[in-house]
This record gives sequence, structure tokens and C-alpha cells, in this order.
Amino acid sequence: MAIGKLTRELHFTEVYKKYKDEHIAIREAMCLKAQFPGFLGGIEDNDLFAGRLDLPAVGITPDEWGPTSFGYYCIEQRLIAEIEDPSLDEDYRQAVKDMLDFWREENTSTKLRRAFPEKMARELYTDDWMNQSGISFPLYRLCGGYINFDKLLQIGIPGLYEEVERYRQKAEREGGDVKFYEGARIALDVFVDTCLHFSNMAFEMAETARTKERAEELRLMGTTLKKITKEKPAHLWEAIQLMWLYSLVADVRNLGRMDVYLGDFYVNDLETGALTEEDALRYLESLWQLIADRNTRVHGRVIIGGKGRRNEENADKFALLAMEATRRVLEVEPQLSLRFYEGMNPALFAKALDVIGEGRTYPILYNDDVNIKAVEEAFGFTTETAEQYVPFGCGEYIIDHQSFGTPSGVINLLKALEVTMHNGIDPMTGRKMGLALGRFEDFETFDELFEAYKKQVEYFVEIMADHEELEYKIAGETAPFLYMSMLYDDCLERGKGMFSGGVRYLGGTLETYGNTNTADSLTAIKKLVYDEKVISKERLLAALDADFEGYEDIRQLLLDAPKYGNDDDTADEMLLKVHNHVCNAVRDQRHRTSLHSYLVVIINNSANTLMGHQTSASADGRRSGLYMNNGNAPMSGMDKNGITAMLNSIVKPSTHIHAGAVQNMKFSREMFTTRRAELEALLKTYFQNGGAQAMITVVNRNDLERAMEEPEKYHHIFVRVGGFSARFVELGRDVQLDILNRTLY
Amino acid sequence: MPVEINCCERQAHMDRVQGTIFDIQRFALHDGPGIRTTVFLKGCPLRCIWCHNPESQDFNPQLSFDRAKCTDCFRCVKACPAGAHKVVDGRHVADHGRCCLSAKCVEACPNGALKIIGRKQSVREVMDVVIRDIAYYNNSGGGMTISGGEPMSQFRFTLELLKAAKEKGIHTCLDTSGYAPGDLFERVLPYTDLFLYDYKATDDKEHLRLTGVSNRLILDNLDLLYREGASIILRCPLVKGINDTDEHFMGIAEIDRKYPGLAGIELMAYHNMGHEKYERIGRKPEMEMLPTTDEATKESWLERLKAFGCGKAIIG
Repeated sequence: MAIGKLTRELHFTEVYKKYKDEHIAIREAMCLKAQFPGFLGGIEDNDLFAGRLDLPAVGITPDEWGPTSFGYYCIEQRLIAEIEDPSLDEDYRQAVKDMLDFWREENTSTKLRRAFPEKMARELYTDDWMNQSGISFPLYRLCGGYINFDKLLQIGIPGLYEEVERYRQKAEREGGDVKFYEGARIALDVFVDTCLHFSNMAFEMAETARTKERAEELRLMGTTLKKITKEKPAHLWEAIQLMWLYSLVADVRNLGRMDVYLGDFYVNDLETGALTEEDALRYLESLWQLIADRNTRVHGRVIIGGKGRRNEENADKFALLAMEATRRVLEVEPQLSLRFYEGMNPALFAKALDVIGEGRTYPILYNDDVNIKAVEEAFGFTTETAEQYVPFGCGEYIIDHQSFGTPSGVINLLKALEVTMHNGIDPMTGRKMGLALGRFEDFETFDELFEAYKKQVEYFVEIMADHEELEYKIAGETAPFLYMSMLYDDCLERGKGMFSGGVRYLGGTLETYGNTNTADSLTAIKKLVYDEKVISKERLLAALDADFEGYEDIRQLLLDAPKYGNDDDTADEMLLKVHNHVCNAVRDQRHRTSLHSYLVVIINNSANTLMGHQTSASADGRRSGLYMNNGNAPMSGMDKNGITAMLNSIVKPSTHIHAGAVQNMKFSREMFTTRRAELEALLKTYFQNGGAQAMITVVNRNDLERAMEEPEKYHHIFVRVGGFSARFVELGRDVQLDILNRTLY
Repeated sequence: MPVEINCCERQAHMDRVQGTIFDIQRFALHDGPGIRTTVFLKGCPLRCIWCHNPESQDFNPQLSFDRAKCTDCFRCVKACPAGAHKVVDGRHVADHGRCCLSAKCVEACPNGALKIIGRKQSVREVMDVVIRDIAYYNNSGGGMTISGGEPMSQFRFTLELLKAAKEKGIHTCLDTSGYAPGDLFERVLPYTDLFLYDYKATDDKEHLRLTGVSNRLILDNLDLLYREGASIILRCPLVKGINDTDEHFMGIAEIDRKYPGLAGIELMAYHNMGHEKYERIGRKPEMEMLPTTDEATKESWLERLKAFGCGKAIIG
């Protein structure tokens, strides 16, 4: 009988068991040795660089592979599928079953959940944020690390070896964690073995290559892979190969300020004639395809442009090349992100608009003139440090290879309001939840209601901050995450892993959802229930509980109340109250916890849709189960006063108290073609007025409707969902409707 | 001090002077240069048969009923104090003539099928909206446009609005049919940076037939404004088979020759998107619905104008 697919995982598990009680750096290093290169995919037909992912069902990662798979993880479904497959060998299936039993106890998220104190366990009663109703949920991940790719390419693997060895000797001399360095050295050995593995593979493939050209490409790949184990890279292709393969073994999914770390290689190769621009573009297109195929969905960030680049002129040249690659490679990753400032080479912004205008959704635009100040204030950094901000994932800011700020929790503000209005009961499930602060009917003034809502939110914010701190503690006890630690500032110097005291600034972020719906609901309640008294509290609750069935008149009144996104002072001021409250409540957690910072991020990854399913009808007129607003945007379709009004609204919330907010905008193609001058003036003004960010979807009028009817014909339409882009036709129907209903300008 | 008194007077003025408007459109790109806010005033002395904003003609607020959004729930029938909503053969029918503008039906309608078009607003209320986009005007060479209806028919309001805009340094456009007493044009001239000036038919009888008024006053005012040094873009609404005659084209070319300093000549090609609005306000269209002008026709218009010696015209 056949042996199944999980032999590598069985081996990994044996190794883990053998080193279970060893020093965590040694244990991790030995596990990495079991994981690589075996868990990487082969070289495919058009690849110009080696390194693809072949995701193991059991392994170690700082990030996540599914809702609760992080650290030492185990993707249970894949094991169960093997156990339940009768065509497989009996002993093998038993071994997999034993492995499953072992990891159910030993995986990192289980350890984390077991460590929840009683209140945390009660309020975070489920991890299934996609399908269950709740105010807050924990996310199990350590995501968004940006390692120092620039250093990696400048000193190469030999340089890294030297540095590790130097610190090891120092630790030996002066007393320190020698084993941490030994682990790091083993990890580097594993990386070298991985390079040589692919080098051999490339040379072998060259023997049977179909064309002479392909054989040549493969031989160059083989030579490069061997060379980077012994020397620092000298050419663009060597630099790309090194950074790409390292990013895979480190499982670092955001790729940093690429124009800085590749700019000099690119320009040198052009100047010496080693490459033409077209050659370089081919390399970049291949890298772009590899990033796309890695399919991180919400990561794959490549940052270009902005202040604080040591080699601005060369970096600009590379940035232009990167945008051209994005124009040519029709994929949803990398998430190319352009930082810009007043005075930067205008060719970059112009190129950006060209690419966006073609409907590519990239680059995402980040305004340094706003964001650097914001990062300084929100995190408490110097200008020089803040200049190195980089958005990761869906748009959270951290400092390139200096800080860490995983978003490992979500809070649904609209659900918090809903539960508060139902006196501590979740009307979706009837379950007791959070604080019971009194009946809505008994709140005499709007302020009483608002105070109760704030208390409810603060109660959960504290739980989530504690959770974030606990996650780091467990992570620090579990593994040093060697590849990341070696290229994160201070870890090698301190001889400590990322989460055991190594990283310079260890912070965290909390994703908030339903911000706009909450504010619009409060606006409507204040106006109609408390100020004008046209709806009684009882009738409002009854209407909400009935999802407006039989209360259409009430729904109409609620819909007609002022809405955020129309430059309406009443509605916008309420949004500011909600925004300031939650942002400051979260930011204050740094005083309660050991976190360097804990900040709100107002981003999106279609959680507005999924969590909307579990959120009842709301007083902004939104029906039960409908998606909520996206990021810092108005509720879809509620911005009715034109785009200038919308933009005036969205620049009002302070950017100085959170770690990033996203702004989706949907333009018709004709705005970009026939009205380019006005469009440029529009964006320029938005950014001058304090606009921090813009993610722009460009579609033809009516294309989205047609794409829903005949998806097979509209594969080419890319849209920005929230913190990621997607092919419109591949999205779920409710996400499609959210995007369709956004106002098209 | 006199300055302060003047200032206070102006402030009071801005609250006191009111106009009837039917829309304020922000990010308007078709009513003059750059990014603009267009204020649409209600009421017009002309009755152009092709008018695509029939709700702009009446000087008073009026009821609009969008049959397509109606579900025959009859909530409006109950809500209306004047009996303007009835049930006929099981369907909701609006009797616009009986509407008392209570807006009770608008509140009662769950589908947004009913609206009252037109509202009184003071100069200050309008300016509160207009000033919000100043930064956008400045970066794009845009500003405020007053359109209609016929803005000159609410002269006081238009004048005060223009003054208020100029005080804020905002570029102003006046979109006018030219049909108003000449002295009034002289008074708005100092506060108007650009006139969008309509020219609808060359033959006076034709003009009377198509718009309801003679074009003599309009041509006199054009002459007056031009001589006073006004910046003017001539805007010519054209409907295929109605006023795209050689005679009219020759007339346009003649104006071009007579007034070489015109800032531009724009042909405004007919579109039929306004057709269904007639029914909503309880009226019959003045002419049958024609197809929206195709590109070939627009090109041919430009060619013909060129043949008559007018090379300045563009499609607006």
C-alpha cells in the first residue's frame, strides 16, 4: 500500500521531538534543517530565480498559514485527509495520527490559548472570526516583519557568518547566550545547503533544457546560487536571487524598500553594460511572477520611493522599472507601494498614475509629508526613524527592520455598540458578552449611551492588548525565529531572538472594523432619538431586532440622517469622536503593558464583509448581515456629495494616533484618460489637505455589473478590496456587491 | 468705523438674500475650467424644447415622482394632506397640481421615489458649501459656476453670490441664456470671470419657436458684454434636425468673425438623459425623444462650421 504525502512532516516531527527540550535556538535550527530545502518547490519553466513554496502541513513560521497556524504549526485538515484515506498504508496512517495527536498538544497557538487568563478566555470565546459572532477575536500570527535586505545584500552570506561568529566569540568571552549564535550558524548552513540544492537542480535542468537560451539561463542560475554562498552579490540577478530565497526560508512576506537595496545593483549593471534595461525588466518580471505565485494574498509588499533613501537617484531609476514591471505582469501581487513627497522626482508620480490608470490598482500611494509626522507622533519616534516607516500587509506601519507590530486581534466596533444597546447580550446569538451597562431604554441622554459604548470598547481593548503581550511572551519562549532575528536590528547584538528581547521596538496593532457604521449609527440615534425625538428608543430597538421588517419608515429616517463621507460637519464630528476614542484607548495600552506601542489600524482584508455577516441591523440603516464599511471609507454608496466632499471628510480623522488607515477610491477610466489634469489636481489637493494614503481602483462604467453576469469575459478586471487586490470575478458575491456599491467617481 | 459697519452689513446680507436652488454639484467638470462647484438656480424665462433639466424651469419648488422606484405601498397616499397622491386601478398616481409641498410623502416613502425639487437657501448657506473646495479650485484652475435655470432671473441672489465668491478669491463663471435686462449684466460683470453664454438659434423667429423668446435682447447683451471686455465662451446647444441648419452655423461663424476675442465656442450636443424627468414632474416633453448625438454627427458639425470659416469651435 502507498505511503502518503506527509513523510517530510513525519521527519520534521521526529526532529522536533528529539530536540524538544534543547535550547530553543538549537531546536529551531534543527527543525529548519528538517524543513529546508525539502519544503521548497522546484524551478518552473519560466523562472529566472530559484525558490518556490511547497507549503508543509507541519512546520515552523513566524507568520501564519491559516487562522490558527503559526509558530510550530499543524494544518490539521491535511493530516486528517491522509488519516481518513483508506488507500494509504496502515502504519503510515497510524504514524500520521500519532503526529496529529502530538501537534494538537504541542502547536504554538494551542499553547497560547491555554495561557489565556479566565476573562480573556471567556470574552474571546472562539477563534473563528470568519463564522462566529463576537466583539473581539484573537488572530494567531506574528506577521509583518521587514528584515534588513539592504544589509543582507551588502555583506552577503559570508558577512552574516562572520557577524554571527564574532558575536558568538564575544558571548563565549563575556558570557552570553552562545547557543543562540550556534543556532544562527546552523540556520545559515541550512540556507547554504538550500542554495547548493537549487544550484545542482538548475545545472541538471540545463542538461535537458528545450532551448539553448533556457539552458544558458539555468546555468547562470546554478552559478549564481553557488556564488552567493561564498561571496556577496555583485550583480542585480545575484542580489535578487539572494533576497528572494532568504525571504522564503525566513517566511518574511513583505519585501521592504526594494528600490534602495536593488537600485545600486541595477544602475551599476546598466553602467558597466552587464545588463540592458530590457534585461533588468525581464528579471523583475520573473521576480514579480514568483511573488504573485507565492500567493500571500495580503502581503507581498514592495516599497519604492519616499524620504530616507541613501541612494535616491539610483533608487528612483529602479522605482520606475518596478512600476513598469507591475504594468506588464497582470497579477494581484506584489503590492507595489509608492511613497512620495513634495519635491521628489515627478516622473515617479506620473508613472504611478499611468499604471493605476490602466486598472492595475498599483502602486498604492503613500504621502510621506503626512505619514512621517504621523508615525513620529503615534509611535513616539524621531524624524530620522520615522522616515523608515514601511506599510506591510493591508497597510500597517512599522519601521523597516527596527520595529515589529503584528495585528493579532480584531475588534468590531459596531458589534460593541450593538451589544451595549442590548445590555450585554449579543442579539445575534443570545449569548452574554462583554459588559452589561444598563438598558438602552434607560439611557436618558445621548452621552449616557456614548459613555456606555466607550466603556464596552475599552473593556475589550484591554483584553486585546493583554492578548498581544501574551502572544509575544509565548512566541519568545517558543523560538527565536533565527532567519528574521539575524536581520532585525539589535537581535544579534543582544544575543536574543525577536520576541525574547531582541527586537528594538516590539509593538502591536489592533484592527478595528465598522468604524464608520458605528459613527453613522450614533449620529442617527443622537439626531432622531435624543435631539428630535422622532423615534422612540423602544421602536428603534424593535426595528433593529426585526431587521426593519415592518419598520421601513424608520429605516428611511435612519438612512436620511447625515452620513460620514459627505463633508457634513455633524456626521464627520461623530466619526472623529469614535475615531479619537478608540485610537487613544488603544494607544494608552502601552502604559498598561510592556508593549512599546499598541495602535489601531483601520485596514481591511474583507473582514468588513465576513464580520458584517454576524452583525445585526444597525441604526445607520444598514441591514442585518450586510458588509460594514471598508477601512476609513464611508459606507459604500453613502457618499453622495461628490468626490471632493468625500475626500474632505476622510482627511478629518487624525493620522497621528494610529498605525495606518486605508482609503479606497473607485474611478471611472475616463477620469484617467479624458480628465487627467483635473484628476491630478484632485489627488494633489487631497494629499496637500492631509490625505495619507490612496488605493485606487479604475474600472469602466458598468463593467462590474457585466462581470457579475458573465465572469468568464472579465478576468482582466482588478479591484482593490481592502488591504489587498483581487481579480473581481474571483471574489465572493457579497464582496463583489460591496465593491459594486462603492461610489464610482 | 465704516469698514466694520460695511462688513457687518455684508454678513447680514449673506443671510438675508436667498435664492431658490435645485442642486449644488461639487467636482463639476463640465461647467467651465478646472474643478468647480456648480450652483443650479431654479426658474427660467425660456422654454427650450430640448431642455434636459425641465425641473429647472419653474421658479417654485415642485414634486418629483419616480415611477420606477414606486412599489405601490400607498404610504404617501395616507401621508399627503392635500390629496396629491391617489390610487387608480390599484396603482399609485401622483397629481402634481394638488401638491402643497408639505413633503410628508417624501418622508413616508420607503423607496426614495418622491422628492421635492428646489429649496430656498441664503447666500451664506451656499457659500458654506462652495468654500469647502477652494483648495481644489486653486490646484486645478477651477472655481464656482452659477447655472440654472437662468441665474439672471434671480439677479439679487446671483449678484451677491458672485460678490461673496470674489471676496474669497474664487474664480466665477456665469452660465446664462443672456435673456435679462442689459443693465443687470453690467452689474454682475465686475464679479464674473467668465460667461458661459448660450446661443441657440440665429433666425429670430426660429429662436422664438424653439425657446419661447426672441434672441434680440440676447444678442444685444452679448455685444454689450463683449465691448465691456467680458471673457465669454459661446455655448451652442445643437439638436440634429432641429437647429443644426446652415443658417445657424453661418450665424455662429458670423459671431466668431464679429467677436474674435471670444474665449471659446463650444457645441453642446443633445443627449436624451433628461427626457424621463418630464414625467417625474408631471409634464409632457416638448419634443419627442431623439437619439443622443453620435460622434459622426458631432464631427460633421465641426467640419461644416470650419467650411463657414469658424475653426474655433470644439465639442463642449
